[in-house]
Amino acid sequence: MSRSGRRVTLAVLVLAAAPGTLRAAPALAPRQVVQSADTLNGCLSCHAEQRRAATEGVHAQQGVTCTTCHGGNPRARALPEAHTGRFIGAPGKEATAQLCGSCHSDPGRMREYGLPTGQLAEFRASRHGQLLLGQHDQNAPTCTDCHGTHIIYPPYDARSRVYPMNIPGTCAACHSDGDLMRGYQLPTDQLDQFRQSAHGVALFQQQNFAAPTCASCHGAHSELPPTVTEIANVCGQCHALVEQQFGKGPHGAAARAGDMEGCLGCHSNHGTERVPIDSTSATCDNCHAADTRLHQMGVDLQRRLTQARSDMESAQRALQTLSVAGERTGDYRFSYQSALTYYGQIAQKQHSLDLDTLDYLNARVRSVSVELDARAEASNESDWEHKLLLLPVWFLTLSAVALAWLLLRALSGAGGRADEPEA
Amino acid sequence: MKSMWAAVRQWAGRSWTDLKASTDASLLTALRFVGLLYGRIDHRLPIGQSFRKALRYRLSRHAGWKHALGGITYLLLIMLVVTGVLLSFYYRPSAEEAYASIQHIVSGARLGWLMRGLHLWAANLIVVAALAHMARVFFGAAYKPPRETNWLVGLLLLFTVLAFGATGYLLPWDQGAYWTVTEGLDVTARTPIVGGLLASILRGDPIVSGATLSRFFAFHVIVLPWVALGLLGLHFGLVRKHGIAPPAGADDDAGSEAPRDDPEGVPFYPNHLMRSLAVAVVVVAIAATAAAVYPRPVGAPADPSRPPEVLMSTWIVADVSRALVYYTDGWGPAALALLGLLLALLPLFDRRPERALRRRPVMAGLGAIFLAAVIVAWVAGWRLRFEPVSASGELTPYQQQPAVAQPGQPLPQLPLPSGAPDQPGAVPDSAGGGA
Repeated sequence: MSRSGRRVTLAVLVLAAAPGTLRAAPALAPRQVVQSADTLNGCLSCHAEQRRAATEGVHAQQGVTCTTCHGGNPRARALPEAHTGRFIGAPGKEATAQLCGSCHSDPGRMREYGLPTGQLAEFRASRHGQLLLGQHDQNAPTCTDCHGTHIIYPPYDARSRVYPMNIPGTCAACHSDGDLMRGYQLPTDQLDQFRQSAHGVALFQQQNFAAPTCASCHGAHSELPPTVTEIANVCGQCHALVEQQFGKGPHGAAARAGDMEGCLGCHSNHGTERVPIDSTSATCDNCHAADTRLHQMGVDLQRRLTQARSDMESAQRALQTLSVAGERTGDYRFSYQSALTYYGQIAQKQHSLDLDTLDYLNARVRSVSVELDARAEASNESDWEHKLLLLPVWFLTLSAVALAWLLLRALSGAGGRADEPEA
Repeated sequence: MKSMWAAVRQWAGRSWTDLKASTDASLLTALRFVGLLYGRIDHRLPIGQSFRKALRYRLSRHAGWKHALGGITYLLLIMLVVTGVLLSFYYRPSAEEAYASIQHIVSGARLGWLMRGLHLWAANLIVVAALAHMARVFFGAAYKPPRETNWLVGLLLLFTVLAFGATGYLLPWDQGAYWTVTEGLDVTARTPIVGGLLASILRGDPIVSGATLSRFFAFHVIVLPWVALGLLGLHFGLVRKHGIAPPAGADDDAGSEAPRDDPEGVPFYPNHLMRSLAVAVVVVAIAATAAAVYPRPVGAPADPSRPPEVLMSTWIVADVSRALVYYTDGWGPAALALLGLLLALLPLFDRRPERALRRRPVMAGLGAIFLAAVIVAWVAGWRLRFEPVSASGELTPYQQQPAVAQPGQPLPQLPLPSGAPDQPGAVPDSAGGGA
């Protein structure tokens, strides 16, 4: 084939391929259905304010359109044809729960999205569900009150109302409303307490999503306050080691018998915080009278905790001293790390009120602290020895100066200068 | 055996003869006893003779205590060389080993702490001594022709000393060193035209790293010492050539060239040497005292990912610039720097023969203003360091004393009873950069 012939063949091939390429491109574009819904869906010709719902949110992405929930005829462009068929309009609160459940309780439909299907059953068992579905209380929330109505984002989307950092605000939308809560005799300060608490600081300030939100303790759809005997188990879902120690001790037995509110005996519920070491014994006195054996136990406990803290602080100071003095502190840091582990164990083991175990751990912390203190002391002593060196230095210096001065004076006495020192 | 005994007797006899023949009994004899250098060899090479000549050299009778400042500067330089060589026996100029080797010098090597302390304090004192020496030359009009060349050489020496300080600052490879140099190079990079190139040459890497450390080390121990040696040779050679400048109060027409070997002058030995000895031992003792009483703490190891909370340059510069920035809002530092530059350059163009201070009102006035401004700003900055200025009565971080050792990498926070130290895991990580 000649060169020009080859060129012609090539051109023909390109021309033949071009239309195919053009046709293939739109078919590969994602969200094709959604984009066409914007223009094809007749609902939007009247309900233009819901235009965003046709493209945004997890439902629009998965091809759930207006008619999937509301019914009606999307091909119609005007009333009354549009509101024909299985048209339900805006469902009420109770109907909404059923409507959402019609898909979300169906394992067959939810399987492909990996979603659980127990939400409606859980909702029925919850306080919210009892009020709404049982007592037809229209103040009680339904699905859309927490998840949003038309544009529903998945929980991992920061715009979602059930995104971890947004959950406390979503709950507080009702639970901080004093007028609304008065009817149920509920307090309204939970969010304020939560913000100050260890959990709230971790969630809001450190953006630590391992921190619990309201739903982590109360349940997401089956929300209810934990009862007295449940509390230790709820906290123990995360604080497993503390719960283990708590269960071993006398307080654990009391909590199981329902005589004590579990963790709430010493800690707050929404304003979770550590009991300061210095008020340990005062916390015991809330229940135990001042002249009893158990009050004395609280005093003993506080003394051990105070001792451990001061040992840790002293070890830390010693490490600082050694570091500044240029010592190689690798081994010391290793010791300190082990003391830190024992110190952390004291924090857990104190919940069993087993003072012998605390004594053992205290002794381990103390041995590290004593060792580091001794090293730091030795380092300080060598500092002192360095200063002792100044004695001979200044003795020699002053001697030399005195000698020079005497010589210069002798020279000046001999006529201002010494021409020729005597041989 | 017999011949050996005879040889020894012969040697002793000749030494005794030499001793008796010597006119400078004390020192030269001592030197002669140290070795055989001045025995047989001395008969062939006139070493003893040249020594004798040097010792008998007569300085101008105006040479007094205030002329010791230059000598002190030189002595401090010698101390820096000696301690620097001793430090380099142990120091390892790499990002991995530098910090650990400093730890070893301070806590492991025998008298390493003293060598480091002396090196550090001599480096600080040499700047003071050099500036004092310059002030003496400035106010004493010792820079007037024909000595203006030596003023220029002295200026170059001052810059060399400052360059020594700047390059030596990085070598400990701790947080303060790392971030101060980072800041310094960033400032350098903003210098118009040459700044970017200069900074990137000095840095050798996008950030301060081991490459930078190698460069700074090379400048500190290879390049700058040779530069200093050359300039010092020139400086001393010019001093020998021109002699000591006539006193400020002398007649203006007394002639700028002092007589080479003033018969009325003071002999170098023993008068001047005794004086120098007294000054020298005091300077060494002061440096040793500072090293023992104010040892430089070993900071946290350099961490390129975590700038320290407070970063402050050490020493007088910090106080002076703090006061100037605080009270004059920026133009103060610029004005003071310009005045300093002017004062440094003026002597190169001041060719009038007057020497007495009151006959040079402009120079004396400018100098006095500069001196007073520095001292006032220094004192004010020092006071400012402890004075709360914010409405809440708290010291701003800029005003606070730099923390001795910034906490190193904080350990993960473990569950601790509250009331524990703020960050129980935050302990200076001294082994971080270690071997």
